[in-house]
Amino acid sequence: MYSITTNNLTYRFNGKETVLSDINLQVPTGSIYGFLGPNGAGKTTTLRLILGLLKKQDGEINIFNQPFEKNRIDILRKTGSLIESPSLYAHLSAKENLAILQKVYQCKHSRIEEVLKIVGLENTGKKSTGKFSLGMKQRLSIAIALMHEPELLILDEPTNGLDPNGIIEMRELLKQLNKDLGMTILVSSHLLAEIEKMVTHVGIINKGKLIFQGTMGELHEAQHQQSFMCFETGNVEKSKEVLKTNGIQFQQEGSQLHMPVLERELIASINKQLVEQDIKVYQISIVKNDLESIFIDLVK
Amino acid sequence: MQLINSIKSEWLKTRKSAASWLCLIGGLFIPLIFLIGFLYNGETLSTYGEVENVWTAHFFQVWQSMVVFLLPMGLILATSLITQMEFRNNTWKQLHTTPQPYYVIFWAKFIVIIGMTLQFFFYFNLGFLLSGIIPSLVVDKQLPDATFPYSQFFTSNWKIFVTCLPVLALQFLISLRFKNFLVPIGVGLMLLVATLILVGNWEHVYLSPFSYSPLTMMGTPETMKDINIYNWSCYYFITFMVISYLMYIRKAEKG
Repeated sequence: MYSITTNNLTYRFNGKETVLSDINLQVPTGSIYGFLGPNGAGKTTTLRLILGLLKKQDGEINIFNQPFEKNRIDILRKTGSLIESPSLYAHLSAKENLAILQKVYQCKHSRIEEVLKIVGLENTGKKSTGKFSLGMKQRLSIAIALMHEPELLILDEPTNGLDPNGIIEMRELLKQLNKDLGMTILVSSHLLAEIEKMVTHVGIINKGKLIFQGTMGELHEAQHQQSFMCFETGNVEKSKEVLKTNGIQFQQEGSQLHMPVLERELIASINKQLVEQDIKVYQISIVKNDLESIFIDLVK
Repeated sequence: MQLINSIKSEWLKTRKSAASWLCLIGGLFIPLIFLIGFLYNGETLSTYGEVENVWTAHFFQVWQSMVVFLLPMGLILATSLITQMEFRNNTWKQLHTTPQPYYVIFWAKFIVIIGMTLQFFFYFNLGFLLSGIIPSLVVDKQLPDATFPYSQFFTSNWKIFVTCLPVLALQFLISLRFKNFLVPIGVGLMLLVATLILVGNWEHVYLSPFSYSPLTMMGTPETMKDINIYNWSCYYFITFMVISYLMYIRKAEKG
């Protein structure tokens, strides 16, 4: 069951320049879905389309299994969002900003204190939000998104402007909301490292196209498939002969020979053959690509 | 109900805002000048001399100083400040992701602008009353003798308010359309100044939506005797509001 699905979502700026092409997003209910891509890949455009901030051109958007356009009010009643930079009335305090939303959502007044406590801004008093640091503004924006206890949270780069501690706190907060309240969270970022410890699912977008979508397990599988073995010896040419006689495909990278990960017994056997031929063996290792390298490879 | 909640929410945004200060200071400014003038010279409403009713004379004197330039300018500034608040704070996207129909957002915002204008009228009339009463109490140690012309007071206020509507609607339209704060202010002031130059010199000046407030006090010249400026105010108001609404609803990018 999915909280958000898009079918062939396509968007062109000024009807010409294609910025999104056939995006088929599937955000499972109860998941934390990391929406990854470099700057300008189309993340914000996708999220703005999902929230109705941009007029849909081609494709379908379904949220809670309902078409967005026909059920906008019902869907937004259950959705909290933060798109790009914080949206706050600079001349008002944190409480006054939240009171504006409290009137619209008709939630209890005590909810203002609750959400301020959740994001750690309960002691800001009458200070106007215009005087807040970017991190404080970002946290208050999260509080605004949480005001009506939504089922779905859509956050566009929520860690922008946060210091390392703030990033960790935000990560913990989102994990807690997901775990305790079962909130489905769609969070975009351009840094995999920033969200890989938190998300259950991931979608990678580049140049307006969704190039990977799956669970974190599936991404780790891709990581495993991209691992390789590395042999470094004193005589590359003779080593190549040994590998050929054993029927192993390899690639030469300078003084190293790269190949798919071999069985333990085969590694030992090749090592023995090399030593018997008086070839010095300096290194036999398995090189594992980290997720960041996979992400970079995917978006190249 | 949703509209009422939305209006309450929009009204909260005006707290401590430049527009609310403008409304308070702008409303009390001219009456305060009169009050200071009376007290400084030790005068009261009787200074208007042999007139039918000193309150009426005072009312027109105070309003005349206001309607020609300060009132339209205040409307231009306040409407632009309130409407542009969303652009300035980058909050259109926040507002448009709340579960409110677009027509509710649109009308709640405009009703708040109307509310601010009424608040301005309240401050101005309060100032007007005090500028008449206080000097009498201080100098003559009693309230003014003249009967207060309630009917004329309310009718004139209503008429002036009607002439404000096309200006409010036009400024609302421009402020919704353009992100740059200078555009609605610039266009508004340019039209106002052009109208004031033409008001005594051009027989078709009634075509300008900014001409009706000055014409209320200055009186319509003979060449415009068949023109009902209040009807024209309403026509312009309805036209501008329809255009604003269609433009707002059809906007492809909502934040």
